[in-house]
This record gives sequence, structure tokens and C-alpha cells, in this order.
Amino acid sequence: MREEIISIKNEAMAQIMDADSSAELEELRISYLGRSGKLTSLIKRLKEIPSDERKEVGVLINDSKSAIESLLAEQKNRIGEVTRKWFDPTIPGIAPKRGHLHLITKAIKEISRTFEQIGFVRVRYPEVEWDFFAFEGLNMPKGDMSPHPKYGQIVLTPHTSSGQIREMKRVKTPPIRMINIAKCYRRQIDASHVPMFHQFEGLVIDKGISIAHLKGTLDYFARNFFGPQRKTRLRPFHFQFTEPSFEVDITCGICLGKGCKVCKRGWLELGGAGMVHPTVLTNGGIDPKVYSGFAFGWGVERTYMMKSGLSIPDIRLLYSSDLKFLRQF
Amino acid sequence: MDIKIPDNWLRDFLKTKATSSEIAKYLSLSGPSVEKVEESVYFIEVTTNRVDIASVVGIAREAAAILPQFGVKARLQPVKLPVLKFLEKVDYLEAEVNQALCQRFSAVLIKNVQIRQSPDWMKDRLTAVGVRPINNVVDISNYVMHELGQPVHTFDYDKIRGAKMILRESKKGERLTTLDGKTHTLPGGDIVIEDGEGRLIDLAGIMGGENSAVDESTKNVLLFVQTYNPVNIRQTSMSLAQRTEAAVLFEKGIDPELVTDGIGRGIELFVKLAGGKPESQILDIYPAPYRARKVEINTDFLTARLGAQLPKDKITQILRSLGFETYWQGKTLEVLVPSHRAGDISIPEDIVEEVARLYGYHNLPSELMQGVLPEPLADAPFGFEEKIKSVLKGFGGVEVYTLSLVSREEAPTGLKLKNPLGKESEYLRTSLSASLVAAARQNAGEKEPFHLFEMANVYLPRRSKAKGGIPDLPNEKMMLGGIFANSSYREAKGAVEGLTNELNVKSEMFSEDAAHYLPNRHIYLKVKGRILGEFGELSYGYLYYQFDVEALRQAHREIGSFKPLPKYPAQIEDLTFSFPSRTKIGEVIAFVLSKEKLVSRMELTDIYKDAYTFRLWYQHPSKTLTDSEVEKIREDIIKSVKEKFGAYMKQLA
Repeated sequence: MREEIISIKNEAMAQIMDADSSAELEELRISYLGRSGKLTSLIKRLKEIPSDERKEVGVLINDSKSAIESLLAEQKNRIGEVTRKWFDPTIPGIAPKRGHLHLITKAIKEISRTFEQIGFVRVRYPEVEWDFFAFEGLNMPKGDMSPHPKYGQIVLTPHTSSGQIREMKRVKTPPIRMINIAKCYRRQIDASHVPMFHQFEGLVIDKGISIAHLKGTLDYFARNFFGPQRKTRLRPFHFQFTEPSFEVDITCGICLGKGCKVCKRGWLELGGAGMVHPTVLTNGGIDPKVYSGFAFGWGVERTYMMKSGLSIPDIRLLYSSDLKFLRQF
Repeated sequence: MDIKIPDNWLRDFLKTKATSSEIAKYLSLSGPSVEKVEESVYFIEVTTNRVDIASVVGIAREAAAILPQFGVKARLQPVKLPVLKFLEKVDYLEAEVNQALCQRFSAVLIKNVQIRQSPDWMKDRLTAVGVRPINNVVDISNYVMHELGQPVHTFDYDKIRGAKMILRESKKGERLTTLDGKTHTLPGGDIVIEDGEGRLIDLAGIMGGENSAVDESTKNVLLFVQTYNPVNIRQTSMSLAQRTEAAVLFEKGIDPELVTDGIGRGIELFVKLAGGKPESQILDIYPAPYRARKVEINTDFLTARLGAQLPKDKITQILRSLGFETYWQGKTLEVLVPSHRAGDISIPEDIVEEVARLYGYHNLPSELMQGVLPEPLADAPFGFEEKIKSVLKGFGGVEVYTLSLVSREEAPTGLKLKNPLGKESEYLRTSLSASLVAAARQNAGEKEPFHLFEMANVYLPRRSKAKGGIPDLPNEKMMLGGIFANSSYREAKGAVEGLTNELNVKSEMFSEDAAHYLPNRHIYLKVKGRILGEFGELSYGYLYYQFDVEALRQAHREIGSFKPLPKYPAQIEDLTFSFPSRTKIGEVIAFVLSKEKLVSRMELTDIYKDAYTFRLWYQHPSKTLTDSEVEKIREDIIKSVKEKFGAYMKQLA
């Protein structure tokens, strides 16, 4: 009988806990404690028990009865309170002060992460440089030779490629897998150009680096930065500091290369790339007979615009400090 | 350079059934980029190294090599030329030529030319490439140039006095009027032609002289086709800002062999369209004709660069289709470069490009490189910089990027640009403050508090000691700057302190006046005497802070230090004091904390008029303080603060 009492009690308590209206609680009270309730009927059976155990069982029944009663009361209170007090859950929350990182910061972070995952080392080189690193060393015509006898004049870097020779001189013996992200300057301003912008430059130098490796790296970047189905292609182009040189396209994110209204021919232009010119390797102190490499240098702003699909009509907006713009991201 | 090629003109030389969109697509993949095809005209971007394809025939030759690689039949129909007799001397023109300026000088007299309108087919083609038809003589020059990529000039033969030409370098200050009516004072070193009476009659390679120009009454024309030194042409064209189509071609270095075609095609068209009678002898001063350059390449090298092995006969076939001659010797291939590619092919890597692009970059494998990874940069600052930015974002800061190029007023000691875009961007900034003030002002309409910040290099000029004081590269210093508007001093200072706390930088603050800040409202943050940054209220009404990011990085700790947890609870209570005016509250707190060893913490929680409420934590390291012990400390605080600062207790909270 003891087991029976405990099991009735547990059953009652569980049902009371689950009840969510006063009516239900009343039903439960009747079914357990009412005149013919489950617990009440046990009391009637007390006389069947041997007298030496009767007292103990009686206490157990009484304890169970009071436990059920107090839980009933408690539950009744709780239900009553909740239904009585009106509350408006649609009231707006109090916003924490929200800060904003700039789109360019986000872009740089994602780009560097993507390349760091395949062993690229992020570096930073001068944004105001000697002509030698920015032009002449990259196989381009040098400017006026003053004032530095060896490195020429001081220029604002028009590209992150000026980090190529710096990196070769730093590492000395390949392997090199560099990602150089910095500010660049060009004398141009309109809706798609700002006189200051950012580029990221990849440079890989090792024994036996081939066009296939450049393709592999670009495809990796396309998949991991733009999306798993995106692909790249190379087209011939010309730069002084690479041979061969390429223009890199990526499949349009909408039609994936089939051609649609947005992209026309299925491909979008990403930027330039190429196999490092042997003269540039030599200028960086690396033997082109032993090593070869590839490089690419693209605009951070443009690449990120292409990824995010943000259609910002005027790139100058990125360099404005208008909170109405900055708070959107 | 961008060129336009009409489809029907192209097909004069390119025999193929390929559609224009196929031609456009395949050219783009393996040759020059076709930007679009509009009304049967190809818009093509020609890179500076490929002046040989900046023409109808050039594109036809390129397409004839490329299309078959895509399985499309195509054949080049060469330019048909009359049989011509080239001589170093002719009786109708005496010429003295400076060879250094003009590699090949040729001319032919065409008599009895009838000036009239060109036929419609020629006018249509010229219009399609963006050239306005004038008359048959002018149109023939333009037509030949667009067809062959070889600029052609025509003189009125009867205006060349003494039937003599001297091609020489100009002297500085010489004057010449070109046929567009502009008079130029020459910078010197320009290529000019002088006639028998010492008059300058041609700004060679750029534009003809007005005094020798063909006009309505011209009878006899001198057809004039040359190869000029590209360096002189570029200098003249740039310094006089005369960017003619001829100059743009000449400055890239044109194949001298093209002169033959230019003369031949010119004669043919003059006979056909102007009824001209050409002299049979053509003047041609060409003392050093092109001799094919030899480039050697090894198949192992080619395979290594491509990342794929190509059969020998495929390599041969590709190079021959592009006009190269090839000779194999084992694994070594000797390549003879045709004259039209001489300007651009000189090393084995150039051959790699030719083979690879024709084979098709899309046919090469795509694979990531193997091998040892480079060592990461020791002590890279990037993660730390990112951390600062995210902390400030967490405090509600909004990041901006502003231009490093500023006006002189904003960077009076900065580096000055030689050719700035304007006065507003003439100097490289040496501080972020002016840019951030401007950024805050841009949001002057904003009534709520806001906080802008930026992290960027400033460029501090320096001179090298070693090289006798000549300018050195500037010190590029990564700075963090931030500005608060519509905010209180305490809010802004709290963010600055929050940042240093977040970075575990134990800095001390020293108040000291500084330029641009209101008096008494500026503090330096220092660690071991070194200034990390500063904070204060600008005279413009904004609160501003800046940090030297590298100094901050040196001073920061990635993880805070561990202190054992207190074993016994603190008693916490608020005390409110009233201070005489001009009391420095920071000093009060420092005083209490240093005097009372059993006060573990003290914070300012409220200010009401002159009443300052502090929260104090009474705590003993090895026991729980009793009420009477706390009372003793409290009374000591009240007494000593009164003595030291003249403050009195307002109430016991």
C-alpha cells in the first residue's frame, strides 16, 4: 500500500504542475482529495492493514494529502497572478549603443583571413616609398633620380606592388606567400575613383611556381571569399612587372557564368595578376633561374563591393564620414 | 588604348565563318580584350605592348591565329600590294635624315591628285571608327592608319620649298604652326622637318605643319610614311598636349617593316580614289633593316611555368600561327621573332605567354602550391589593431576612413605633394585630428551623442643624417584618433579609460595644457614616462583622443593579471561629501585609496550640485570587518577628507 500512496502522490503532483487553469486544478482536487478521490479511498482501506503498520501508513497518507493541498494552493496562486497582471510584450527593447566597423575594415579582415588560411603572411610596407620600389624595381620607367642616389625620388605608392621587392628583401630565401594590404594613392577623383584607396597584393615565390598555381590560388579565393560555386578565369593582359600577365575574371554571382542581364557575358572583371617578371625577382635579390612566382594586386573596395553585392553608386561615399551612411553597416 | 574595328573591314583580311560574337569571345580569351560589339563594330582594348594589333590587319592576324585553337576555321588574307621600287635617292625630293630620330624614312610623289569626296564605303568605315571624313586625301591617310596601324602623312608637294627636307631635332624655343592652327613653342628635342628655305613644315609623328598642308587647290601630294623614335614622340606629344592618333601609335614603337605596306596601300588608294599618278621610284632611307631576334626556350622551363606539359608539335604549331619561326634542338627551341613582335618578345617568359594564351589559360590545370609554408611575421600588429577597433565598436564608436591628403593648414609640417589634385589635398597629414574634426562637423545636424574613430598611418617627415640631410622616407606612424560630439567630458574619458582597461594597459594620466585643447582640459596618458596618447576637450567643442598604436601595443597585455579572490566579503556603503569649488575629485579618490589600506575600492557614483557620492568597499584580506571596525575607518575618512580638502559629509547613505 505504501508504494500505491507514493505513486498516487507523485501522479497528483505532476498533474498539478502541468495544470494551467483554476478549473483544471479544481478537477484534480476532486479526483484526488474529493469524497471518492484516489487518496480518500485509500484512507477508507486503512482498516485492511495490520494494526501495527496502520499508524505509519496513516501518517504517510496525511503527509501526501497536505503536500498535494499545498501544491494545489501554490499553483492556484501562480495561475491567478499571471492571468491577472496585464503585460505588453510588444514594447520596444532598450537598444545598447551600437558601434560600427567600416566596410573597408571588414573587407580587409575577410581578405586577410582567406589568404592566411593557405599560409599567406600578412605584411605592411611603406605607403610613401622610393621610386625604386614603386616603379623602377618593378621594371617600369623610373622617374626623376633625385634626391636619393640609389632609390630615386619619394612617391606615394600607386599600388601595393611596391611591397613585392620589400618582401623579397625581407625573406631573402623563398618560400614567400605574402599578402600586403595598404593604402594607395592615385591622382584621380570621380564616382569610381578616389585619390586614396586600398589594395591587397598577393605574392608567391618558390621553386616551380606555375600558372596552374596562380589559377589554383585564385579559384581558392573565389570559392572561399565569394562563394563555393564561383570560378575564375585568366585572360591575356600586360603589366611591366609580370610576364605573362593576366586579367582575372570571376563568374557572375547571379548566373554563375551563363550570362544574365546584370553581367552580360557571365563574367566580371576582378583585377590584374601575372607571373613575376625575372627582372623583378633579380631586383629583389632572388635568382630567377631557381625560383619563379606569381603576383596579383586588387582594390579592396572594389572586390568587397563585388562580394557584398552592395550597389554603392559613388565610391567616394566610402570616404565620407556621414553617419547616415556609416551606420548602415 | 581602345580601338574600334568594324566587322566588315576586318573580314577583308580575316576569312572565317565565325560570327562576330564568337570572334569577340575567343579574342578576349586568348588575345586582346573585346569590351563589346556594337552595330557590328568591335570595341577592343589594346595593351601598350601590342601596338602591332592596333589596326584592322593586326586584329585579323591575331584572330587568324586564335580562332583555329577553338576549332573555328580562319585564315589571314594578306594585304595585296603593287610591285614597288624602293630607292635611297630619288630626283623629286632631297632628304637629310637624322637616323637616331627616324629609323625608316620613305616618301613618294603622287601627281595630279583630284581632291574630292571619298566614296561612301570609305566614309562609312571611317565614321564607324570615330574619324570624321574630310576629303579623299585626308581620308586616305586616316584609312591606311586604321587599317595597318601605320600613321601616314600627306604634304602639298608644291609647298615644300626647294623640294628638300631636313629631318632633325628641334631647338628649344623654335616655333611651328600645326595644321589645326595652333602655334607651338617647341620644348626642344622634338622631331621636326625643315624645308629647303629653312621653314619648319612638320611636327613629325604628331601633326603636319600648316604651311605645307594639303588644301582644296593641291595638285601634287607627297605621301609620307616613317618610323620615328618613340621616346621623342612621347616627350613632344606629352609636353605640347598634342595627343593625336599618330602620336599614340608612334610612341609605342611601330614595326619599321610596316612602312612598305603603308606606302603600297597609300599609292593604291590614291590611284583609285584621287586619280593620282605616283612616281615609280619610292624614296626609302632604311639603313638598318630588321633582323629577326632569336629567343631560346627549353621545354622543361615551359612545362614548369605552365604547370602542364605540351607536345612539341603543339608548341611549334602555336608559335608558327603567330608568325614565329621555330627550330628544335632536342629540348631547346629556337624562336625567331617576326618584326611586328620585336617590341614585345625578348625573353623566354614572353614565349611562355604566347604559347600559354594560344593553348588557352582555361585548358591549364588549377591547383594550390605544395611545399613548405613561410614563417609567420614575428610580432605582427594586425590582430592588435583589429582588437582596438572591435573594443571601440563595442563602446558605440563608429569607424571612419578619411583621406590622408589634407590642406596646408591641416598639416603645416607635413610632406608636400609635387602635383596635388588641389589645395585641399596638397599635404600628407601628420595627425588625424583635423580630419576627425571635419568628420564630426560633417554630422553637425546630429543632435544625439556620437563617437567617431579612425586608425590610419600619419606621415611624419624626417631627414636622414647619414645622407647629408636629404629627405628620407617619412616615419609612417599608425595612429588611433577618436572624437566625441554632444557628449560630456566624463562620457568620453570613460571610453578612453575603458579602452586602456580592456587592453590591460596600466597608464597614468597627467593633466597638462596642449595646443588646440581648452586650457586645463587636456591630459596625457603615460606608461613609465612614455606618452601613449592624449585626451581632452578641443577648442572646437569636441572631445578628442589619440593614441600611438605601436606604443599602446608595447604597453598592452593580452590577458589581465590574476589576483587571488578575496576570502572575506566587503562591506559596501555610499558616502556623500560636499566640496569647496575647484576641488579635484580624482585627487580625493587617490588620497583615500592610498591612506586607507582597508578600502579596497572607491568609485564616484553620483554628482548633485556640490554633493559627490562615492561608493566604498571596506575589506580586510584575512577577516570579516565588524561594524565597529568599519565605523572607525569611515570616521577616519571623513576626518581626513575634511582636513585635506575642506569637505564635509552630507549624509550617510
